[in-house]
Amino acid sequence: MKIGRSLLALGAAALAQALLSRYAPLVARYCDLFTILVVYYGLTCPPTTAMLMGTGAGLVEDSLVGPVLGMNGFKKTLIGYLVGTFGSLFVLNQAIPRFGILFAATVVDPLAELGLSVAMGQSFVLPGTLDLLQRGLGSGVLGLLFFWVAARLP
Amino acid sequence: MADLLTERKPYLLLLILLTFHLGLMSSVIKSGGQRSILGEAIMSLVSPFLKVADWAGRGVSGAWHSYVGLRGVEQENHQLREQAEALALRAQVAEESRQELTRLRALLDLRESVPWTTVAARVIARGVDGSARIVTLDRGSRDGVALNQPVITPRGIVGRVIEAAPGACKVQTILDPNSGVAGLIQRTRVQGMVVGTGERGCKMDYVSELSNVEVGDVVVTSGLDQIYPKGYTIGVVASIGEGEGLTKLVELRPEVDFRRLEEVLVVLKAEGASEGRVP
Repeated sequence: MKIGRSLLALGAAALAQALLSRYAPLVARYCDLFTILVVYYGLTCPPTTAMLMGTGAGLVEDSLVGPVLGMNGFKKTLIGYLVGTFGSLFVLNQAIPRFGILFAATVVDPLAELGLSVAMGQSFVLPGTLDLLQRGLGSGVLGLLFFWVAARLP
Repeated sequence: MADLLTERKPYLLLLILLTFHLGLMSSVIKSGGQRSILGEAIMSLVSPFLKVADWAGRGVSGAWHSYVGLRGVEQENHQLREQAEALALRAQVAEESRQELTRLRALLDLRESVPWTTVAARVIARGVDGSARIVTLDRGSRDGVALNQPVITPRGIVGRVIEAAPGACKVQTILDPNSGVAGLIQRTRVQGMVVGTGERGCKMDYVSELSNVEVGDVVVTSGLDQIYPKGYTIGVVASIGEGEGLTKLVELRPEVDFRRLEEVLVVLKAEGASEGRVP
């Protein structure tokens, strides 16, 4: 049941992200639904579940629009682990700490990609600081909305 | 074992998963972007959903526009409202059809004008951040699409196929920093390598500081990379600065509007590509 629900969430995130990037690219630019999903699992489930969700989300992202298969999988798994571990150490059920985690996860994502790209000898252009802040802000706000909706689902 | 992984030692699972992803990355990079069975399998699983999403999105978009159209005429009297509603809807459908027709006609003209076998494809997904470094098309190996085939539009080149599943394929556009296109300045025939710079556009490397390049010069493919047909438009020189060593920093503005990319042509067979003409 839990696996089915997770797969459904992953599929829904993929569809929503595809629709956003096509019909509202400006919105898509400032929110990463896969990261939001991984953070959600990190804060509400054990770290192992968050890591597995990170791997799933990353591989789906990689297979569709990732430059190198495994790149997003690596990043999202790492984010799942970090958020999951952080979530198991601290009580993070208030909006502000959750926003902080979402913001940090979104900002860490391109930084991790930069590190991996350098390690793998690939080129990567790091987004500007303002762009990173806007992305963090966008994902933070949308993530809080996601948490609010998810809490009301049966 | 399962307990060990899931309950007691989450970092063991982390290690296994990260090693798995590193292995995947290394194998993909080492193979130079050759076939990835796992990638194709996941893409095959997800691409039907994307096609459904694309279809549903068009439906919702149409319905939304219709709704907006309807609200605008609600203030008028009943008879006029009905007429206006019908006309607005028809005009909207006609306008949408006209725009699509224009795009498809341009694509068809291109298809007929080029001496290569091509297949038309629709963009069904792009980067999660809305970027167009990598895009997914609704055509795959079932339609004859294979690795390293060039993707073009009537305005210029888009990129090359880097992964082809049966029903969809992934295209690395010329905006990707890992892409490379052999190009030349059309006016002076100065050659160089066009490399993506992300959302900002592209740049042309290895252009000697003594070479004759001006802002506004058109850059076309040289065909030397054995991927893109010769003489096809890449972009226009947007700025020129000082590069590293004895080279110029030439920044390009791609001719293709990647934010509005919808339909493209995949060049399946480029016989005589080296003699290809400038469309």
